[in-house]
Formats: sequence, structure tokens, C-alpha cells
Amino acid sequence: MSFFKRVQDKFAPKATEVKTGEVKSEMTLPSVEASAQTSASEAPKGGALDRVKSLIAVGSGKGGVGKSTVSLNLALALQKQGKKVGLIDADIYGPSQQHMTKAVRPTLLEGDLIEPSTYQGIKLISVAMFSNSGQAQLLRGPMAAQVIRQFLSQVAWGELDYLIIDLPPGTGDIQLTLAQIAPLSGAVLVTTPQEISLIDVRKAVSMFQTLNVPILGVVENMSYFICDQCDKKHYIFQQAGGKKLAAECGAPLLAEIPIDPRVAASSDAGEPIVVKQADSLVGRAFAQIAEKVVAQEQMQRGTDGALGYFLLEWK
Amino acid sequence: MTDQFRVKRIWQQDERTLGIVWTDGRKSLYDVVELRRQCRCAHCIDEVTRELKLDPDSVPESLRPQRIESVGRYALTIQFSDGHKTGIYPFERLRELG
Ligand SMILES: Nc1ncnc2c1ncn2[C@@H]1O[C@H](COP(=O)(O)OP(=O)(O)OP(=O)(O)O)[C@@H](O)[C@H]1O
Ligand SMILES: [Mg+2]
Ligand SMILES: [Zn+2]
Repeated sequence: MSFFKRVQDKFAPKATEVKTGEVKSEMTLPSVEASAQTSASEAPKGGALDRVKSLIAVGSGKGGVGKSTVSLNLALALQKQGKKVGLIDADIYGPSQQHMTKAVRPTLLEGDLIEPSTYQGIKLISVAMFSNSGQAQLLRGPMAAQVIRQFLSQVAWGELDYLIIDLPPGTGDIQLTLAQIAPLSGAVLVTTPQEISLIDVRKAVSMFQTLNVPILGVVENMSYFICDQCDKKHYIFQQAGGKKLAAECGAPLLAEIPIDPRVAASSDAGEPIVVKQADSLVGRAFAQIAEKVVAQEQMQRGTDGALGYFLLEWK
Repeated sequence: MTDQFRVKRIWQQDERTLGIVWTDGRKSLYDVVELRRQCRCAHCIDEVTRELKLDPDSVPESLRPQRIESVGRYALTIQFSDGHKTGIYPFERLRELG
């Protein structure tokens, strides 16, 4: 049985429901057995990432702060600025990109490659795409690492300027492993303004620093609320957590994103706000985030000239 | 942001020497057999007592790497001709060794 089949079986509800009239296409993904010697500590092979210029993780350490919303809208904003963009939903606890984009399952190409799904011009792959129910059950560490390794090595990403990874909340072994196996060129941190969020986000900061992944910037989400009546920005929390965190890790504050009910509504409708309301404050905040991420990433790349992924065969 | 140095260039210098140029311009040369002896993986060193489990004399002079690959942005891993491939060499440690 192929590896992904096994993953799928794990995800799948006991009795597979097939709606009448629906063509049920069993999707079996390429087996990893061929390279069964790959140990959990081994990095993914260059192959599928060969033409990916920059891999950026969106993380937080804290749950529910808007990582998935930021990942998707950042990806779309970069795309609107003319970049070639891909997105990996690595949230093995509760993948949400599938829900937000209604993207279809990827197709299997000849050989060992998976063709990613596309959505509004970006390439997309999600853990949820490999579950019959569209929902993931919790994957244990080594399994999660294996799935992500396949996302990095067996998906036909082609030529990309940016590949964004939506990380699961937390800073445990799983997050550490994911951040380790992906040759990240940078990380974007998401927080809310409250001091209490920072406790968890700081753990993510030190995780990235330990792995030598530069922090490209901090996004403060749900920063303020604009009232219909007075049109003023109400900083309900008044704690400026984003600014504080940015100062602590020496990275720029990329933007403050207001609370806007349309964010949730538009993602439930499968139409993210950057696409639907590009001119809203939230839409503009994302355009600004994308510009700053590009600048920061170029700066990081330019300064040290370090190799990202490398593989040397000894003769 | 971080002041860790990374690999700018990596190559096989000769039969048993690995060369690295770091992002600060420093050049290091490593004897690959010695690198195997310096492995700090769980098979080679007791993780609690930090005692060496690997007998350095048991590593033959004829040992060679097969492939050397980056691990994230902070380390590299070496697969040796004796099949040993669990060692991870953080750049920080390599800077101390070479
Ligand atoms: N600026 C915002 N205004 C209004 N609602 C928002 C905003 N940002 C995010 N939300 C909503 O908050 C909820 C959580 O956001 P999201 O799923 O992006 O967070 P997350 O950090 O990825 O969560 P998890 O830790 O579960 O992965 C979603 O329903 C989303 O639509
Ligand atoms: Mg999420
Ligand atoms: Zn070892």
C-alpha cells in the first residue's frame, strides 16, 4: 500500500460516503516505499524545490491568531504583485486552506509527481486534500513530517518566486521538525496585540532563531476595529503587542490588520478579502505586507550570499 | 538578525577533504574521517552522560562520505560509506572544528 493511501485511510471516515451521482475517484499518491531508507532526520531531496526561489513559513506559536488567513492573503497579494506563488497548508491539526479556497484535489502526474491544485493563480496543496472527508485527523509527528517532506519533494511546484507554508499552531516537536526539514529562507510571525499572545509567539521566535531562519517581520492581526458610526480606529486592546515583538526580534512590523467581519465571511465563502475587497483597509494591509516581505527577503538573501539547499555527492 | 554563519560554498577538495567557505569569508577544510569520529548522534554519543559510544579507532581511514546535504539553514548531514547517516553537524559546531 502506498504511503499516501495509508495517510488517506487514516484520515478517512470508517465508512466512505459516496453521494449518489458523484464519481468517486480514488486518489492514490505516489509511494515513498521506493525511498524507504529515508530516515526521519533526512532532508527532502532537491527535485521539486529546484526552481523555488524562496520558502517562507507563516507561524505564530499561538493558535487562532490568523496564521491561515495571513498565509493565504499574503500568497494572493504576492501573486497580484506579479510573483509566482505557491502555498502549502501544513496544519496537520486542522487544515483550513481547503475550506477557505474550495480548491480541488490535486492530480497525479506521470511518475512520482503530484500536480498542485490552483486557486486564483496560486498553486496550492493542503493536508486536507488527501482526506476523503476533507478534514484531517491529528497526524503524529513522524507521519506529519513525512507528509510535509512529500509536499516539498513530490509536488510539481515548477518555477516559483515564493512558496508559503502555513504552519500548525504551537512550538512542539512537530513544528520544529517541519521548520527543520523545509529549507526556509524566512519566517513571518503572526500575533494579536495582547501581551498574553506574546508568551507563545516568543517561543516561535526562539525556535526560528535556533534554526537560523531569519524573521522577515511581524504581522499584528486583529489590531483595531473601525466603527461604522465614527470611522475612527478603535485600538480595543491598546497593548501594541506586534510593535513590541518586532522590536524584540529586530524585525519590522509588517502591518496592523484591523478586525473586519468580512475577513471571516469572505474566507467562508471561498473568496479571500485580498481578492474580494482589495481596497479595504485589510486588503491594503496585505498589499503592504507583501511588499515588505519581498524587500526583507531580498535583503536577507543579498547580505550573506549563503546557499539554501545543497547536496554534494562525494567522488 | 542572527549572527550565525552559513555555507557560501561547499566542495570536495581532495580524496578525503571537505572544503567550506562561510558567509563571513572564512575558509575551513575538514578531514572527512575525522568528521565521522566527531559525530554526536545518539549512536555515537550517550545523550545523557555525553560519553563517547563510538570508538574512534574503529573508524577506518578508508571511510568516505557518499553525500553531504543541508539540513534546514543551520546544519548539514553526511551519509558515510559505512551506511552511517544519522549525524547532524550544526554550522556552529563545524565552525569550532575547522
Ligand atoms: N482581521 C480579522 N478580522 C476578522 N476575523 C478574522 C481576522 N483574522 C482572522 N479572522 C478569523 O479568525 C479565525 C481564525 O483565523 P485563522 O484560521 O486564520 O487563524 P489560525 O491562526 O490559522 O488558526 P489555527 O491556529 O487554528 O490554525 C477565522 O475564522 C478567521 O476568519
Ligand atoms: Mg490555521
Ligand atoms: Zn553518529
